[in-house]
Amino acid sequence: MSAIDAEFVEIFREEASGRLDAIVEILLDVERGGSPPDAVNALFREAHTLKGAAGMVGLESVQSVAHEMEDVLSDARAAGSSLPPELVEPLLRAVDAMRAGVVPANGEPARPAEQSASENGPRVRVPAAKVDRLLDLVGETMLHRRRLTHALGSERSDDPAVAALVAELDLGGPLLDELKDAAIGMRMLPLSSIVGSLRRAAREAARGAGKEIELVLAGADTELDRALLEELSDQLVHVLRNAIDHGIELPPERARAGKPPCGRIELTAVQREGVVEITISDDGRGVSPELLARAGDDTELADLLAAPGLSTASAVSDLSGRGVGLDAVKRYLESRRGRLAVGSTPGSGTRVTLALPLTLALLDVLLFRRGVNVFGLPLSSVEEALIVERRLTLAGSESIDVRGVAVPLVDVADLIGADAPASETTPPAILVSAGGKRLAVTCDRLLGEEDVVLKPLESPLANVRGYLGTAVLGDGEIALVLDPLELLRGADRPRRARPNAEPVQVTARSKVLVVEDSFTVRELQRSVLEAAGYEVATAENGRLALEHLDRDADVGLVVTDLEMPELNGLELTAAIRGNPARSSLPVVIITSLGAEDDRQRGIDAGADAYVVKSAYDQQALLATVGRLIGR
Amino acid sequence: MSEQVFVQLRVGADSYALPVEAVIEVTMLEASTPLPGGPRELLGLQNLRGHALPVYDLGAYLGGDATPDAARMVVVSDGGRRAGFAIDAVTGVGPLPERTESEAGLFSGSTLDGDRLVGVLAVDRLFSELERASAR
Repeated sequence: MSAIDAEFVEIFREEASGRLDAIVEILLDVERGGSPPDAVNALFREAHTLKGAAGMVGLESVQSVAHEMEDVLSDARAAGSSLPPELVEPLLRAVDAMRAGVVPANGEPARPAEQSASENGPRVRVPAAKVDRLLDLVGETMLHRRRLTHALGSERSDDPAVAALVAELDLGGPLLDELKDAAIGMRMLPLSSIVGSLRRAAREAARGAGKEIELVLAGADTELDRALLEELSDQLVHVLRNAIDHGIELPPERARAGKPPCGRIELTAVQREGVVEITISDDGRGVSPELLARAGDDTELADLLAAPGLSTASAVSDLSGRGVGLDAVKRYLESRRGRLAVGSTPGSGTRVTLALPLTLALLDVLLFRRGVNVFGLPLSSVEEALIVERRLTLAGSESIDVRGVAVPLVDVADLIGADAPASETTPPAILVSAGGKRLAVTCDRLLGEEDVVLKPLESPLANVRGYLGTAVLGDGEIALVLDPLELLRGADRPRRARPNAEPVQVTARSKVLVVEDSFTVRELQRSVLEAAGYEVATAENGRLALEHLDRDADVGLVVTDLEMPELNGLELTAAIRGNPARSSLPVVIITSLGAEDDRQRGIDAGADAYVVKSAYDQQALLATVGRLIGR
Repeated sequence: MSEQVFVQLRVGADSYALPVEAVIEVTMLEASTPLPGGPRELLGLQNLRGHALPVYDLGAYLGGDATPDAARMVVVSDGGRRAGFAIDAVTGVGPLPERTESEAGLFSGSTLDGDRLVGVLAVDRLFSELERASAR
């Protein structure tokens, strides 16, 4: 047995021990008559996972017992019945047999290197709980800092002692951010640290199914919370095996479909806005057109495929038949505030996406007020903030026109059953997107974005649905952080045909491109300009703004910040002036810097107007834009 | 069991007792944050030293008097579970007179203190019930 095999058996031993314990616990529960309603499904999933993992490390005796166990449970599951008590005894004996089949440990197992080669030098092994504690303390310190900031007040004070304190506090900000990043970094490992086991699982599965596959990886240096990564490995193996067993066809079938004999599976990891998305796509046969027709979108397709008992393979094979893998994957993701989406083109392939938040403790949220409550939504689920000017009504439900697309519009208070007075006629709204669905929720006031310490609702409130948790803000107020997926589900119930509502014709308006790296300022400017009737596009920095201008000819004016990463406001202005096609496009520079030489540099670069942020009010911006646009 | 110490509470016209081990503190009831979708008897969440503590209307929950004007709460824990209960006053801390053990509902027993009937709360069952109520 090679070193890597020994290492995998060791990992399997740990996993198997936990799963066998779980099986025994459920079985004993059944025997006591306290059978949980989900007992058969839960046992089936455990047996299924054990079967797959045992096969992977070559423990055939364990694999075959697990398979028999799965068969017995499969019958009970198909009959929709609870577990007959007379089955408990034989199943317990099966557990004993599997325990005996798991080879006992001899000596310390070898562990793979946990850091990338670039981080050589001495290492310290620290229990994960200590790192978690550190992160908790960093979170508490951030809260403390917010309380201090709040106590000192946001206005600049004339009192030199207070001003000195504010300045000192400002110095501490970047330090604390670095501390936070360092603490989070200690919990992060690159995806590449589990790639070895994925390749191996894919190779074994392909051999078992008599298929040829090529596994292509992209973004393996994407970092993930260590705890998530370890659990994620199981889920990715499930999805890979599904792709090989159900997706990729046998070589003759591929030849008939005009595909190369070797199936291609791509595993891509990307990180954006605090979320890591891992996509596994194959060039196999895809799901059936009938199934696809039943699913409205990628989330619904994932829901259908994850339904217990459903499988895309007609025959139950030795591998991941029965669709059980996805059931487990979906449950896992939801328990970690992630989500599953499946896209498929019949005949040419399936694409499974697992999305997970980067860390569990700290979350970037957009805060807003409705009634007496402050709510938060993860920034990763927020597309934009806007002002509701005109409501479109159809069959009693409302929607809003977002650049030509009708998006359902709901008062957040109605959605979650909050007690709140009627909202004003042109309220701010947040465009939320999750699981492939979009929804605009209205509120009283946007409060801005904040990095919060999220605490899940704990017992006795652990069963309350709809929230990711609570966050205590700097002023001591408790913000309720909403679960975007639940929010969208809640909006879905009374209205089904919404997304297909007829598109609304938008009259041509003058479009303004807002370039600004702060989400809050950007959305503030957007809401001011949209409220005044302008169509607004946004970009996070100068480079993205130039890309936007290349593909959008409707922009009639650019409003830009000065200080931005990648390409700043002056460089953007110079680049616009340097292009003959758009040399007359008006540019308004907005910045917090009021110094005369900045103004001069702005004018030198070719800006048409210059609004200082500290003196910036809506009317000044609107007057300037109104004067310059369509000139 | 007469050595056991209890915190005695008044909620509306009713009197209750809690084992002193289960009581973390008695503190002021502040304007709490309502939790839409939460159980009916939940008054809301109160920021207790950086933690969002669920606060319940104990009187209403037990079927007695609701306590809309309660100014205090008693913070109770059972294992890892914590909650605050609105009360009107703490009337005493000490052993209770001879108790009648009667496992009924959320009470582990009751006792007559002068002419008042005092219900002794079973903290574990109380929390289990609250947990169940939040799944609605």
